[in-house]
Amino acid sequence: MVLFENVSKRFILRHERHRSFQEAFVNKWKHRDRSNEEFWALRDVSFTVGESGTFGLVGENGSGKSTALKLITRIINPTSGNVKVEGRIAALLELGAGFHQDLSGRENIFLNGSILGMTGKEMRARLDEIVEFSELERFIDTPVKHYSSGMYARLGFAVAISSDPDLLVIDEVLSVGDEAFQRKCADKIREIKDRGKSIILVSHNLQTLRDLCDEAVWLDAGVERAKGPSHEVVDKYLEWANIKNKTRLEGAQSHSQSGLEETHRWGTREVELTAVEFVDAEGRPGSVFDTGDSMLVRMHYRARQRVEKPVFGIAIHRIDNLLINGPNTKTSDYDIDWVEGEGVVQYLVPSLPLLEGTYRLSAAIYDHSCLHPYDHHDRMYMFTVQPRTVKERNGFLHIPCQWCIEPKSAVHEGRAPTSNR
Amino acid sequence: MVSFRQHLGELLRYRGLIKNLVARDLKARYKNSFLGFAWSLVNPLMMMSVFTLVFGILMRNDIPNFPVFVLIGLLPWNLTVGSVMGSMGSIVGNGNLIKKVYFPREILPISLVFSNVVNFLLASIILGLMLIFFQISVSPLALYFPLVLLIHIIFLLGLALFLSSINVFFRDTQVIMEVLVLAWMFMTPVFYNIEDLTSNFSRVMYIINPMASIISTYRVILLYDAAPAWDFLARTTATSVAVFVLGYWFFLKHAPTFGEEV
Repeated sequence: MVLFENVSKRFILRHERHRSFQEAFVNKWKHRDRSNEEFWALRDVSFTVGESGTFGLVGENGSGKSTALKLITRIINPTSGNVKVEGRIAALLELGAGFHQDLSGRENIFLNGSILGMTGKEMRARLDEIVEFSELERFIDTPVKHYSSGMYARLGFAVAISSDPDLLVIDEVLSVGDEAFQRKCADKIREIKDRGKSIILVSHNLQTLRDLCDEAVWLDAGVERAKGPSHEVVDKYLEWANIKNKTRLEGAQSHSQSGLEETHRWGTREVELTAVEFVDAEGRPGSVFDTGDSMLVRMHYRARQRVEKPVFGIAIHRIDNLLINGPNTKTSDYDIDWVEGEGVVQYLVPSLPLLEGTYRLSAAIYDHSCLHPYDHHDRMYMFTVQPRTVKERNGFLHIPCQWCIEPKSAVHEGRAPTSNR
Repeated sequence: MVSFRQHLGELLRYRGLIKNLVARDLKARYKNSFLGFAWSLVNPLMMMSVFTLVFGILMRNDIPNFPVFVLIGLLPWNLTVGSVMGSMGSIVGNGNLIKKVYFPREILPISLVFSNVVNFLLASIILGLMLIFFQISVSPLALYFPLVLLIHIIFLLGLALFLSSINVFFRDTQVIMEVLVLAWMFMTPVFYNIEDLTSNFSRVMYIINPMASIISTYRVILLYDAAPAWDFLARTTATSVAVFVLGYWFFLKHAPTFGEEV
């Protein structure tokens, strides 16, 4: 059980720390301590984690989540307020903290176990279990300095989890090891949860948080923004983060497009692209989209003279320059007989299939042979896709699909095929 | 002193950790060197030879069995220096651990002192061999040895607790101590007899330097077959306990901030 009562934590940031007698004396002498600056990592934060509850901490980097965990695990003490923890804590803040490089895996199990507060008897009883869980049977008598980082983390996790804690504190450690081991860890954590122990979890994987936690608190710059059932807190946080992200990205992108002209633009300019703009689903200019939204690209052109049969085209690249597509008016059989003066060519994607990420767009006008460039803007325009409505995470394309199950045995209860758009 | 007692209770629960840290220290110390454990025997033997050469042969003196005399001074002195110099790194050097896991912080300096004690006991084998070699018979009074060692350890624990915590805030403690320890060695009867000093000076020394009385007592019981003077022993005990209590108090006062200062 954890009781976090009106907790505040202040850090003193010393830009020049007086770590020597001389400076300390000089500063005392001159009555100055100019270099100190206060920083409140947490301000008046309260929450309770009952026995057998799973609790999540949500927030951006630097919002105070890790400080809260360190207070719970007694690594640091609060400036004001109360932190009460009952029962044995196992903290997975850093796996294998305290391993000694020159000692073998087996020796380190005992050392690490006793750092976590286990007795020698407990350790001996669980040794086999730990070795088996870490899958290090063959290497257990090898010094850990020869371990890979994955082996290191596996052993650390196995020791920490074996301590039979009443409270498990987890800080983003599940991103270690291969996928199979990650699944094993997640299963183990669920098992501990099912055994009725409390868990406190910090993760940037909001899906994990939503699934695993009963309740959560959202911290922003050390202050509580929301508290309650985890799905509500996560939703509130996501909404806020998306809006913030959108503002930031649009601000950044309006600056970034000017300096590229020299290296990323070429062509004879009989007809020029004067501007390229993105229009989102609501008809507003802006370069941030959600998967499944419509995306409109407007290419403004100006032709100094009459140009016969020009071809307008675009291309979309992933941020690592992988070419995703490159359609043009010719391949789409949209023939333009000639252009003269100013105008706009629009490229509309009714439902954007791209998943979360940043993409670059090229826009170009070529002659009918597609060999001679009039004006080519190579990857000069950036846009971003956010994952607001889509749960799909892997890869970068959403390909519309349907799932269906056809059980062979009659016992199986049928399930209606569900479609995914 | 409720918190003091709480801490002692917690310490008792974590005694397994002290044991493991001592074992870690010793294993790590011997694992990667060719001679391994033999070094803790060879090192005092070589130092004894150097001291005997300089102070026994080059500068003549009339102390009988001078090599043994020096060794009895040298071994406890090495224990003291090892604990004092090592303790300063015990908190600062384990920042990685202190920032990631909670455990009673005093375990670090305490286990450092104990690993030096284990090393001292192992090195004492060489003292036993030397006593046999020089045909010095040891009387039952040598049974006082554990008592003197206990007083010595209490004194060292106090020093280690104080130095390990002050070094977190003032890193030059380390440099200052290097000089002080050298001066301290000359003030301690490691390679001379304190009675040989002008009498007033030796009295002052006994009073202000617990190491002087501790080393003299080791010699009295092992080499001179005499019982330690009780008033003398009591005073040294009082000093050691006082150093321990003050050191522990200072440590506990500052330990809560180690997690952010280290």
